[in-house]
Amino acid sequence: MTTTADAPTTRGLLLPPADPRQHLTSPTTRTVLRLQQHMLAAAREYLTGAGFAEMLPPIIGPVTDPGGRGSKQVDVDFYGHKYKLMTSAILYKQASLLAFPKIFCIAPNVRLEPLETANTSRHLAEFHQIDVEMAGASRDQITAVLEELVRHIVSRVVTDLPEEFAALGRDTSVFTALLNQAFGRRTHAEAVAELIGLGHPQNPDAEIDWEGEALLSGRAAQPFFVTDYPKGSRGFYDRESAQDPGVLRNFDLLAPEGYGELCSGSEREYDYARIVTRMRETGENPAKYGWYLKLVREGIPASAGFGIGVERFTRYLAGLDSAWQANAFPKLPGVVSP
Amino acid sequence: MTGLSSRGFPERAVRERARLGAAAAFPADAHYGHTLFGADPTHSDDPLDQLRITPPVFMPQRLEKLIELGREPLHTDVALETVIGGLRSTLPLYLSAFGSTRAAGTGQVLAASRQAGRLGIPMVIGENIVPMSGYGRGGEQTRRTALGRIAAYLDELPDGLGGVAVQQSTEDADAEVWNLVYSDPAAQPLLDSGRLAFELKVGQGAKPGLGGMTVLDRTAAARVDEQFALDEVFGPDADRVLRCSSPGTFTEEILRQQIRLMRNNYPRVKVWVKLHPGRDVALAADIAWTAGADSVTVDGAEGGTGWAPVATIAHSGLPLGECLARIGPRADCLLTSGRFWEGSRVVKSLALGATAAGLGRAALLATDEDPEAGLTRLVECLALELRLLISSLGKYAPAALGPEDVWPTPAPLAAAPAHRIPEVLRHG
Repeated sequence: MTTTADAPTTRGLLLPPADPRQHLTSPTTRTVLRLQQHMLAAAREYLTGAGFAEMLPPIIGPVTDPGGRGSKQVDVDFYGHKYKLMTSAILYKQASLLAFPKIFCIAPNVRLEPLETANTSRHLAEFHQIDVEMAGASRDQITAVLEELVRHIVSRVVTDLPEEFAALGRDTSVFTALLNQAFGRRTHAEAVAELIGLGHPQNPDAEIDWEGEALLSGRAAQPFFVTDYPKGSRGFYDRESAQDPGVLRNFDLLAPEGYGELCSGSEREYDYARIVTRMRETGENPAKYGWYLKLVREGIPASAGFGIGVERFTRYLAGLDSAWQANAFPKLPGVVSP
Repeated sequence: MTGLSSRGFPERAVRERARLGAAAAFPADAHYGHTLFGADPTHSDDPLDQLRITPPVFMPQRLEKLIELGREPLHTDVALETVIGGLRSTLPLYLSAFGSTRAAGTGQVLAASRQAGRLGIPMVIGENIVPMSGYGRGGEQTRRTALGRIAAYLDELPDGLGGVAVQQSTEDADAEVWNLVYSDPAAQPLLDSGRLAFELKVGQGAKPGLGGMTVLDRTAAARVDEQFALDEVFGPDADRVLRCSSPGTFTEEILRQQIRLMRNNYPRVKVWVKLHPGRDVALAADIAWTAGADSVTVDGAEGGTGWAPVATIAHSGLPLGECLARIGPRADCLLTSGRFWEGSRVVKSLALGATAAGLGRAALLATDEDPEAGLTRLVECLALELRLLISSLGKYAPAALGPEDVWPTPAPLAAAPAHRIPEVLRHG
């Protein structure tokens, strides 16, 4: 794995250099950012070719994705009104389907994650997502789009950037299975059973915790989906199964080699009464979602979509120790940075 | 007026309403900020008040203690240490939430926090504190903030004891109180030592089924009008308005899923749930525990320090004793609040299944009497009474108490097992 020369560490973990010049002029950073630029170009190439319209995402709004796992939103004073920086564009992605049936955006997100996530190698307070949403799509259809998109991006960079991979010391043969075989798939319940079998105390009602994800990821040879997360582990917009109440029609995509989650997605709730009820089940105050609920009440398309973490995906492809190495101006949770 | 009168009819109250309109639904406006509200004990129909504590003649647990000590046990041998919702406490007591009512003055609130820390008992920080008083970061100066209270408490707190439970209500969710605390460097000592809890506020005793209420002047009201509903019950020309929080909508599934989401999002905190004394309190408590709550608090109809309609104070909600009877003995942690200030009421509620009791109005009055040591002295007296009463029953720990220790045994408890599992063992 690659590290930035002379980077400081804490508790054995690599931290970004305090001086942005050192980070931006490092050969590693430059190589990683070139790889990332190529990944984004490949993503645009694939999605545009598949008929997705690129939208420019909003940065602020009266409300944003409530998120999960204890991350805090950033408040913005908008002429005396409390606005939020986008933690994810999910509400706007659903709304954008009123303009185009298939959309994508490459969106910045800001989440003040709990301080302990500074140690996961995977969390940044500011990061980017390749956000995709498709009207009328089922989970099988949207995971097929995701699988093809990931394969296209990896194929492109492996073919076009052999020198960059060589400079990073990343053997591209690790992507052979990804490029040639269908991604694996298991349910959340199966993942929980596997973890408990491995002696990891995973709460069956909750997200797979970070250690659990790393364990599952470390045992895999290619990316795999975890589907059917329980209600109570995700936001109100992930659709609950009509056939199997309490189970969500959602998925995560996990990378192999211990890199963990790359992407979350789901079929979406789009019915007004269900969304209001799910908001209460997730402890939200529907009053603050006024504009969104009005749209939903008047009708929005059924849809499915996902968001790929750009820095995490880059970290996996480049074989980096930490996601911050894939960001030009990295901000770790709780660390004051440029 | 013509001098018309109506003997036997509440004429004075009717005339007051004819003069004041909607404002007469509340205690007199002039008392706001100086009076702690909550049920009037002279009208209490709480079954706890009707119970007597029943020391037996024969005391096998006293014999066990005698053998352990090698001498006759005394009341000083009662060990009051208790695990309260996953937090270790020196006593089966905790400091209840005060909410944002102005009657709980900043000095008293901070003094109570400091003394609770010194005593090593957990402290609850009430709903609406952050939207109303701020959190205490980013240049907020008032010491009444949540951080101000946590700092005052931590200054005095011994290692390994106590802890802070932070409430969040529907409006608090807008302010992301839990997310704020969970990611705040100042809260890390509590998180790292396992002494942080989040309490989901479903309801409160003084106004069951309603949200929090405070009276604000119009300037303060203008600051929060995007977060809260404001009601001009005092008239359009009055300089004060009623600020109402929504109570929040709960169904069985909403409560279950909110608790699961708390466990999912905040795996390092203890999860507490506070219920109002609703007729389905036993079902709600069962759902909360089953969904993984570390503790359920039942606020009896006698509870509350804040502003409430006279109709709900006098007529709404089950008395605490009835709530305890409906819930029955459980192996789970059950906290109670509502007019606790002395030992006998605490012993009775522990006998009926509670793990600990909250001090609300009593703590504020005690710190009003003496800001430095009023609460400490009140608790010293209460602790002595607990030791005396518990030892009089031939028992030496709060968890050893059972329904056999009171008379008459409430009907739903009659068939219950005599001994509950001690809290310390459950968490061991």
